[in-house]
Amino acid sequence: MMRKIFFYIILCISALLLFAPILYAVSASFMTPQEIYAGALFPSSINFDAYKEVVNSIPLFHFLWVSFVMSFMVMVGQLAVSSLSAYAFVFIPFKGRNLIFFLFLSTMLIPWEATIIPNFLTIMKLDWLNTYQGLTFPFFALPFGIFLLRQHFLTIPKEIWESAQVDGCSRLRFFYKFALPLSKSSLSALAVYGFLTTWNKYLWPLLVTNDNSVRTVQIGLKMLIAQEGSSQWNVVMAAVVVILLPTLFLLFIGIKYIREGLTAGAVKG
Amino acid sequence: MNRNIFGSFLFVSLIVVFGLMACSNKTDGGSEEDNDIISVTFWHSMSGENGTNFEEIVEEFNNQSDNIHIESVYQGSYTDLITKIRAMGNTDEAPAIIQASGTNRKYLAESDFVEPMQKFIDEEDFDTSQLEENALNRYVIEDTLYSMPFSTSNAVMYYNKDMFREVGLDPDNPPQTFSEIEDAAQKIKDATGNYGFTMATIGWYFEQLLANQGELYLDNDNGFSGEPTKSLVNEEAGQGIFQWLDNMNKAETFKNYGSDWEDPRAPFLAGQVGIYFDSSANIREVVKQAPFEIATAPLPVPDGVEPHGATVGGNSNYITNKVSEEEQKAAWEFIKYTVSPGVQAKWASVTGYFPVTKAANEEDVLKETYDEFPQMLTAVEVNNKTPAEPAMSGPLSDDGEQFRSIIEAAQEKVYEGEDPKKALDEAAEKINDLLK
Repeated sequence: MMRKIFFYIILCISALLLFAPILYAVSASFMTPQEIYAGALFPSSINFDAYKEVVNSIPLFHFLWVSFVMSFMVMVGQLAVSSLSAYAFVFIPFKGRNLIFFLFLSTMLIPWEATIIPNFLTIMKLDWLNTYQGLTFPFFALPFGIFLLRQHFLTIPKEIWESAQVDGCSRLRFFYKFALPLSKSSLSALAVYGFLTTWNKYLWPLLVTNDNSVRTVQIGLKMLIAQEGSSQWNVVMAAVVVILLPTLFLLFIGIKYIREGLTAGAVKG
Repeated sequence: MNRNIFGSFLFVSLIVVFGLMACSNKTDGGSEEDNDIISVTFWHSMSGENGTNFEEIVEEFNNQSDNIHIESVYQGSYTDLITKIRAMGNTDEAPAIIQASGTNRKYLAESDFVEPMQKFIDEEDFDTSQLEENALNRYVIEDTLYSMPFSTSNAVMYYNKDMFREVGLDPDNPPQTFSEIEDAAQKIKDATGNYGFTMATIGWYFEQLLANQGELYLDNDNGFSGEPTKSLVNEEAGQGIFQWLDNMNKAETFKNYGSDWEDPRAPFLAGQVGIYFDSSANIREVVKQAPFEIATAPLPVPDGVEPHGATVGGNSNYITNKVSEEEQKAAWEFIKYTVSPGVQAKWASVTGYFPVTKAANEEDVLKETYDEFPQMLTAVEVNNKTPAEPAMSGPLSDDGEQFRSIIEAAQEKVYEGEDPKKALDEAAEKINDLLK
């Protein structure tokens, strides 16, 4: 019992430490600029001026919508591309399968920044600037996702595949009747990962858009931070809090699904 | 049943995604002509409150113009904007006007998508004598003006007058040499236990302290009379600056709060440090936030050296040659508007930059602001005294940003105990390597 209490105290402290920056952001969003500069930890009174200011100075809700659409599209695109290619790498025998797989993996070594300019020129030549395609397409093929799902598909017993073949199950049918449902945990992990990393993207959306109608929250956030001169940090923090909410929400849901998927797999084997 | 859910979800999502793509709104950021209105795209980096004020100026221009519409687009920080222009400068997607900071002036002047501002000035015999000479000089390369300065600022010393009174320093007579600052900082430390002096670890301040002594950063007149071949940062003047910082750091009257503009501001406003450097563009905000009385003074010089003045920071606007002649003409109209006395006076009074147009100082709106914030006048006075010489225009190189990071890294080493001479010699060596 003592042990348990002790552990919980440690856990609470570390959780508080990890969460402290976010708690401070929430607290700072209610402060006045003077209080922030004076180093206060808590606001003297709760006021929503900073939130009003955010909504007045940038089209925040539109940016949120664009970010959501972009992240959702990338998430779905990554799931589709990764699961289909991982399926091919595991269940469809063809010559040079491993070679191609390792070739795919080796692209993980190329930093994404190095491919920005070629990607950008491609998108520009396709005339996809200021479109959702332009924002999302370059992220659909994700070697990490292919790797993750391939490893998971490999754990699906070959016997299932063989008996499905005997019963005349087509490859596509096996894909969505067996392979996908059996990999729920990996798929949800990948979905959350894809959504969150896309939500946080800044440079790419900035490059391929010139118009506020297709710009994301991260660019909106940058608009609030002064280039030269002092920023109103309470306003910036208010925007940060609003932008965080959807991601935190997703994380709460996502964690539940991931845990469910993992435990279900563990018991059924 | 349950097994189907994941597959169905994926397929439905795919349909949704492709549906979204089909109807995603393709909006063109480029220029279009409607009803004889010429649309001019302008990429800028003005954000925060300055961004709001800047949009107001654009809107006022659009309202008063019959046939020109300026489409201003925020493109991230100065660095982000340059990244973008490196990729897009030579394509049809390039905008008509680009805003950039001084560190990128050489790259932009040498690029083949920038139309020199000089061309428009010559065509129209536009009188540049109404503009601040120092501001113009920063963007003149080989007698050609490449861009029109818009915002100008320099570095000034801020100090806490209340704290000066408290420790027995003369609040109206701030320290003006390196040793005077060392002494003042020691006094503050002894009397209050607070730090005396700080500055953010930003390479720009080193440039300013060097220029204030009238010293060059690079050979060949800072690169203005030919390709620079050697850095001069580790000559006597530069060594003096590093030695000075090292002295105060060792005496613990100096504290390094970080390498961001914002970093020293909070400790200064909280009264934890008495003197610091900041861009003059911030005076208004800092004075407003401070619970004590603030005054400003020019940057210090080593003992026995005559102060020369400051290099001009801020930004300038470029016209590109990737748009039609008509659009260029329209862009030039807007550029002229941005340096008109009324606009400059307004911009200076809402931001803290000082005007690039001399006549702006006579406008009532700016006079009132200066009455309210007399601290803003230091930057203007320093600028007026600054002579027109290459040392005062800062190093001219493509690698300006890297120079700054090299100097910043060297400064940090000194703060951690490295010998200042060794650190600066190494930094100079690294800059020389970049120049090769």
